[in-house]
Amino acid sequence: MDQKEESSSIFDPCPICLSPINQESYLDQCFHKFCYSCILQWIKVVASKHSPREPFIKCPLCKTKSSSIIYGYDGSSFQQHLIYENSENSIFFTKAHKYRLQCYYIELGNSIGNINISRYWKSNKYLQPNQWLYNWVRREIQALIQEKDVDIIVHHIIGVIDSWRRNEPKGSKISAELKQEGFKRMVVDAAKPFLRGRVDRFVNEVEMFLASGLNIEAYDKVYVKHLGWKIPEIVGDDIDDDDDEEHVDCNPVIPLLSFSDDDELDETS
Amino acid sequence: MQASRARLFKEYKEVQREKVADPDIQLVCDDSNIFKWTALIKGPSETPYEGGVFQLAFSVPEQYPLQPPQVRFLTKIFHPNVHFKTGEICLDILKNAWSPAWTLQSVCRAIIALMAHPEPDSPLNCDSGNLLRSGDVRGFQSMAKMYTRLAAMPKKG
Repeated sequence: MDQKEESSSIFDPCPICLSPINQESYLDQCFHKFCYSCILQWIKVVASKHSPREPFIKCPLCKTKSSSIIYGYDGSSFQQHLIYENSENSIFFTKAHKYRLQCYYIELGNSIGNINISRYWKSNKYLQPNQWLYNWVRREIQALIQEKDVDIIVHHIIGVIDSWRRNEPKGSKISAELKQEGFKRMVVDAAKPFLRGRVDRFVNEVEMFLASGLNIEAYDKVYVKHLGWKIPEIVGDDIDDDDDEEHVDCNPVIPLLSFSDDDELDETS
Repeated sequence: MQASRARLFKEYKEVQREKVADPDIQLVCDDSNIFKWTALIKGPSETPYEGGVFQLAFSVPEQYPLQPPQVRFLTKIFHPNVHFKTGEICLDILKNAWSPAWTLQSVCRAIIALMAHPEPDSPLNCDSGNLLRSGDVRGFQSMAKMYTRLAAMPKKG
């Protein structure tokens, strides 16, 4: 088995080192194969030549532009290395995406502004469809997984929410808390394969957006105000472009920490 | 450093194996230095270089293949994109358009293609470029042919 694998990679060596491929990785558009370290090195060389950096890499073999490397494929899952993470120059990843991603690194209280989540459930407001939800979820997913083409995921999540709303018994036999719980569990199930560790926070964000009853623009303003951030592109209107530099300092920085479940911390008691 | 050495060694083995496959290119590695190579390429047919054998000198950087090799003609050649005195070659893949998937062998092929298809608009040899740009194909060809005969053909007798 090993021998067979080895001989096949000798005939199909990495185009950069010409040796059998070590840590197979693929460019996401043309699927040409390289050693992970070889293609990473090449990306570094290309990046050092281009200023500002380009959000893609041209395949050394076919010149097709790819925006990520796929590697570590083990039969069921894979890893992805983005050519230019959190890029302000990248085509779809706007300042708004960046701000949404940053929000996920901030601990938020139960709610923001005067958004009242329990009233949302008690007053049966959830029975009305929300016309902004699709675009809002789309931006959220794009920000979280840093992929442009997320329509299938969004369609899936929205579909699940819609069918849940349609099938929810209109009567008030079930308590608002139970409805809320059922809703959250269902969205978690729908989104978990795509968002993994961030899914619980995502569901809270969805709930909060729905409860706000606001459109995306208005919601962003409330959200940003709550966090005390100043992002001219999002707060808009009253801030002149000339003032940009002044506000750069106020922009939030993504801290280098990942999520940990609160439960894990309670071991000491 | 190690990476470039390993890769050049692979190319060396490949060249040994392929020798018969491409009769127009003969790549030879310096006996003592794997970063120095020379190549003999045949002038492409139906060009003024036909019948000539041209010698190229390769100097491979330590960052190879992330950086392109430096190549120049050792044999005198009259071509718009080759410096007449130094033999320096103006070819995009040896500069900005370099890709680590190129090999010394494929660079030779690209140079043969450049010989057959000169780019008079980015000349290193202005005399040669001007002849072509002014439409004097005959003048260009006779000059190129003359230098091929003078410099790239074995002397008879």
